[in-house]
Amino acid sequence: MNIVVTVKQVPDTWAEKKLDAADKTVDRVSVDNVMNEMDEYGVEEALKIKEAHGGEVTVVTMGPAKAVETIRKALSMGADKAVHLTDDALHGSDALQTSAALAKVIATLSPDLVITATEASDARGGVMGALLAERLGLPQLTQARKVTVDPAAGKVSIERLADNGYALVEASLPAVVGVVEKINQPRYPSFKGIMAAKKKPLTTLSSGDAGLDAGSVGLAGAGSTVVDSQPAPPRQSGTIVKDEGDGGVKIADFLAAQKLI
Amino acid sequence: MIVDNRIDFETYWRVEVRTVLTWTDEEQELRKAVRRFVEAEVAPRREELEHGDLAPYGIMRRYSEAFGVGDIAIERFESSLRGEPGPAVTAAQTLIPMIEFSRYCPGIVTSMGVSTSLTAGAIIKGGSAEQKERWVPDLLTIAKVGSWAITEPDSGSDAFGSMRATARPDGDGYVLNGAKTFITNGPDADTIVFICRLADGTEERRYATFVLDRGLPGLVQSAPLRKMGLHSSRTGELSLTDVVVGPDRLLAPAKKKSGPATSDRSSAMATFVKERASIAAMALGIIERCLELSVDYARTRVQFGRSIGDFQLIQLKLAQMEVARLNVENLLLRYLRQVDAGVRPSLTEASATKLYAAQAAMQVSLEAVQVFGGNGYMAENHVEQLCRDAKVLQIYAGTDEIQVSQIAKDLLRGRR
Repeated sequence: MNIVVTVKQVPDTWAEKKLDAADKTVDRVSVDNVMNEMDEYGVEEALKIKEAHGGEVTVVTMGPAKAVETIRKALSMGADKAVHLTDDALHGSDALQTSAALAKVIATLSPDLVITATEASDARGGVMGALLAERLGLPQLTQARKVTVDPAAGKVSIERLADNGYALVEASLPAVVGVVEKINQPRYPSFKGIMAAKKKPLTTLSSGDAGLDAGSVGLAGAGSTVVDSQPAPPRQSGTIVKDEGDGGVKIADFLAAQKLI
Repeated sequence: MIVDNRIDFETYWRVEVRTVLTWTDEEQELRKAVRRFVEAEVAPRREELEHGDLAPYGIMRRYSEAFGVGDIAIERFESSLRGEPGPAVTAAQTLIPMIEFSRYCPGIVTSMGVSTSLTAGAIIKGGSAEQKERWVPDLLTIAKVGSWAITEPDSGSDAFGSMRATARPDGDGYVLNGAKTFITNGPDADTIVFICRLADGTEERRYATFVLDRGLPGLVQSAPLRKMGLHSSRTGELSLTDVVVGPDRLLAPAKKKSGPATSDRSSAMATFVKERASIAAMALGIIERCLELSVDYARTRVQFGRSIGDFQLIQLKLAQMEVARLNVENLLLRYLRQVDAGVRPSLTEASATKLYAAQAAMQVSLEAVQVFGGNGYMAENHVEQLCRDAKVLQIYAGTDEIQVSQIAKDLLRGRR
């Protein structure tokens, strides 16, 4: 199995997420950055499939130079090699442009299976899997809580998470599969893995290397633009009801006013 | 002739940069990965580990499996049996987990180190092939818990001079008697390395080391002793009354590099060198965590209408903690870089590092309690625990006083 797994470096889950004041893109400079937590489930699933069926796991990311840290994390978990698409010209690309760029890179790898997370915790668009499948001309299975690959039969089946249970869905290989957090427990990178990560093959591509037209990527050519943003309003302090023998009545009145009773 | 003795700055900076004391990329990755494990597995159980009855061995096993630590140790062990080098383990791989675990529960470091390093190490050094196969693999994977028993009620720093536990030859084997105390993992140990005086010892061999199994007739392992801190490491007493052992449990004396003379004492001393460096790692973990918690508290605790971080006396404490943190980190990085370069730090240097780091951890954690005020004195507060834990760093692996005398003696002898 030739498995490609997409990962993204995002601001730490606990960091205060901000937009760059100048161009309204995600501020990745003033915060600690980590691998998108949901991507860890994708990497884990790719490694499990490789361990069961053999083959190779290639990590693909698009992001600034610092995103190599996220690649190294995936390599230290056990992925075999990585492709890092990085170029100042890519800065500010929207989901459409990013998917076009990633699809171009992934197509050159001729994968049997592409694994993505459901979304990244920074922009939370949740569209990359679908966009990649469309651009690669592959079937897409989404919301997978279990993935079973049958390389001999050339198919992949999943348990697709639904509100009231799950649906069994299958597709022919190659395919794009989006996984949810329930699917596995990502491993810690082993000490050996950490020491070996730097020695694993890493291909760094500029947009030109990947065959992308300069005008097709980046902030200037983006189809969607963040025009303005406002921080969420601070939480309002609650109402304090002082019990002077009529506390119960006051609470009942309050609940009635909220149309809760 | 004109001598140009101006500093060649280009060369100067090149040298400095090459030896600059910072964490490598791999070391940073190791720190992040182990920190994540500790925050997920240890932090939520800190209360039970430190104030309850939760033994640390389950967490130690999960750690060993999650990071492949046991697998590497087994590979190295099996390679050594074949006389091959085996996979390399850097000093950082050993010391970084100690830093990270010590941020929450330094006791786990003690428990793990005694089992996988001291106990297994003693058998690897002195054991025959059969003895190694019999006891070492289970200790390395933490399938079994080990103890290294040297200290006695009347022998601490003078471990060998005042030792009373004895082995009396009896036919092919020996009869062991004696009492050991302050034995890490003592209440739970499956495998015990027991060091004692030979009843008819000669000038060449006065001491002997045996490997004991839990349940041997005459061997009693006490319940955990109550102690000031380090509660996540369970400490006990061992009592041996006419414990009969065969020669299969006697380890060979350690070999000196020069000549055929042998000494168990030199083997134990070699162990002390590594042990002292590891105290600096534990100290760094305690200092880092105390500083983080103190800075956070100084920012958020409001008194007299302002955060207490605005008061200069609190600022002084924070600044002194940071100085201590940097110093201990630098000593540790110096140790790591020396080992990386194949230079074994001297016992004097290891002693100086240990002495400073232990005192710094004690001072920083006391000041952290002071920053927290009444809250810091409460048992539910983490700095209260770290402060009690820090004290042991000045006591075990050689007391401060032993370190001072070691350093001073070597200085006066003209050695460093």
